[in-house]
Amino acid sequence: MAEFAMELIHTKKRIGQKEIIKGLSFQIKKGEVFGFIGPNGAGKTTTIRMMVGLMNITSGDILIQGNSIKTKFKEAIKEVGAIVENPEMYPFMTGWQNLMHYARMSSDVTKERVHEVVALVGLEKAINQKVGRYSLGMRQRLGIAQALLSYPSILILDEPTNGLDPAGIREIRQYIRRIAEEEQVSVIISSHLLSEIEMMCDRIGIIKNGELITIESVRAAVGESEKEKELLMMQVEAAPIDKAINLLQAKHSIKAVREEKMLVFQTEKENVPSIIKTLVEQDIAIYQAGVAKKSLEDKFFDLIGENTIG
Amino acid sequence: MGKFFKLIYNEEIKLYIRKSTWIMYIVLAGLIIGIAALTNTFDQGKNYTSDNWRTELQKENKALQKDTEDYIKETNPDEDDFYVNMNQEEMDRNNYYLEHDIQPQNYGAWQFTSDNAGLLSVVSLLTIIVAAGTVANEFRWGTIKLLLIRPISRSVILLSKYVSVLLFALITLVFVLALSLISGGMFFGFEDSLQTVVTSHGELQQTSLVTETLSSYGYQIVNLIMMTTFAFMISVLFRNSALAIGIAIFLMLSGNSIVGFFQDRAWAKYILFANTDLQQYTTGSPLMEGMTMQFSITVLIVYYIIFIALSWIMFTKRDVAGF
Ligand SMILES: Nc1ncnc2c1ncn2[C@@H]1O[C@H](COP(=O)(O)OP(=O)(O)O)[C@@H](O)[C@H]1O
Ligand SMILES: [Mg+2]
Repeated sequence: MAEFAMELIHTKKRIGQKEIIKGLSFQIKKGEVFGFIGPNGAGKTTTIRMMVGLMNITSGDILIQGNSIKTKFKEAIKEVGAIVENPEMYPFMTGWQNLMHYARMSSDVTKERVHEVVALVGLEKAINQKVGRYSLGMRQRLGIAQALLSYPSILILDEPTNGLDPAGIREIRQYIRRIAEEEQVSVIISSHLLSEIEMMCDRIGIIKNGELITIESVRAAVGESEKEKELLMMQVEAAPIDKAINLLQAKHSIKAVREEKMLVFQTEKENVPSIIKTLVEQDIAIYQAGVAKKSLEDKFFDLIGENTIG
Repeated sequence: MGKFFKLIYNEEIKLYIRKSTWIMYIVLAGLIIGIAALTNTFDQGKNYTSDNWRTELQKENKALQKDTEDYIKETNPDEDDFYVNMNQEEMDRNNYYLEHDIQPQNYGAWQFTSDNAGLLSVVSLLTIIVAAGTVANEFRWGTIKLLLIRPISRSVILLSKYVSVLLFALITLVFVLALSLISGGMFFGFEDSLQTVVTSHGELQQTSLVTETLSSYGYQIVNLIMMTTFAFMISVLFRNSALAIGIAIFLMLSGNSIVGFFQDRAWAKYILFANTDLQQYTTGSPLMEGMTMQFSITVLIVYYIIFIALSWIMFTKRDVAGF
């Protein structure tokens, strides 16, 4: 048994002269919900396309339950169910016909299983309608049903909340948490909006310009609400700021980012006094220190900003 | 069900569930029934009976002879005039019947079916459309992403698509054959005997209408398979069905002109279209000197391997990217 559900080993993708993914390395743990966040054009879809073998990996490797997607494609892909970009299905077939089409492509999927996944995403009523008449939310759910068909141990969803209204997003969120628990799968879920998915994730990886910026835990075993309260997004105006950033990294293993004169980082509430103490002891001047409204807010996003690939 | 069989089944479902496919069959059916109705109205139909067929044939020959003489007087044609040749051929055929004492057949379902062999170019056209769409449409619909993330290799997916296209051609071919026989039978009745006279290696010969029908269909299948495989390759290369349809149909229609245009070049015999008509070797008049059946078959196989190899390499190796 492999230690991780998925492992990216210095994965790079070059198209033409442009390096789109610049050496990603991270692991997805078994049974966790992993949020893959980054602004549009950061390289989320490209990474996911490499994970499922749609795109060749320029260098490095991706292991799925220990099997390389490059050299052991069938063994690796057997473990995966995915939606890549939009949940596209055959519009001239019904939801049921679409699912049966994919069911026939795996050896172990019975009709009962198809009924089961339809029920799991709550599409019983519309399943005999043509997909061409589905709303985006319904297609998103059908996409998830399709991805779950062959009992995957890893579910990959690329921007499943994209284009949905708040109610639709809430629904998807509920499905995903429920599926993660009921089906015992690891879920990789990408989004360009942190706020839309952070609530359902155990950990979040942030990618920008094809590079991994940071990985954060957002949700420990104790329980969602409790944990969320403890995790703070700190904003500190300090000088000299570069020294402060280095100190945080060295003494507290915190990756802080600079936003104009402000130092921005995320930490648990109980760590705040000792962090301040470290800064003060090292002769860093602190002009103000505050907490952003919520833990990993959109704010964090502003700071990461848009992509600068050109 | 075997795994590969299921893939074929999937492909055929995706094909036959769409209205556009049914429209193809409706058009084909309309063509066949229309041709039968037209033939029935305009062709007065010779009616040979066991008593009168000898005098009928002699009358026909006299009329043909006179027709030819009038034609020559009026237009003063070349040695090798098409119209003159046609009349001459018909007279030769009639004489053959008389000499061998065979009663010629009245027009019937089998003869009608045999005459419809030309409809195979319509079948080719439809198969080209299907072949051009089978891979390109999956890209257009975005479903290629879901198709290629199953525990099945890309080669097998591609093969299932190719075989499905050939299966479509076969089904459509059987449809044309069956409907021709049925509507021929309804409009003209079936022949009493299936003996007929054909030209083979420049000589008249007796043969069965069934053999004759199947062989004239069979020879056209070569062209169908080559053009279909070509369209399939173009659609895999460019992931665009309209382009593949356009190029393949353009080449199919202009193939003979292309060969004609380059006829005096040494390499003209290597052009695909110079070799797709294998019937040229049985009727005894090859297109160019030095061409034989073996030569053409070799050229066809080489083209075929190139088409298949290019499709396979492009489909299995290339990224499936968003744009
Ligand atoms: N096939 C391609 N050819 C060239 N550039 C591409 C291709 N696909 C994606 N890119 C570029 O790679 C970057 C990452 O794209 P993508 O993975 O789609 O980002 P995301 O999914 O995070 O929005 C973008 O800058 C995009 O322009
Ligand atoms: Mg994307």
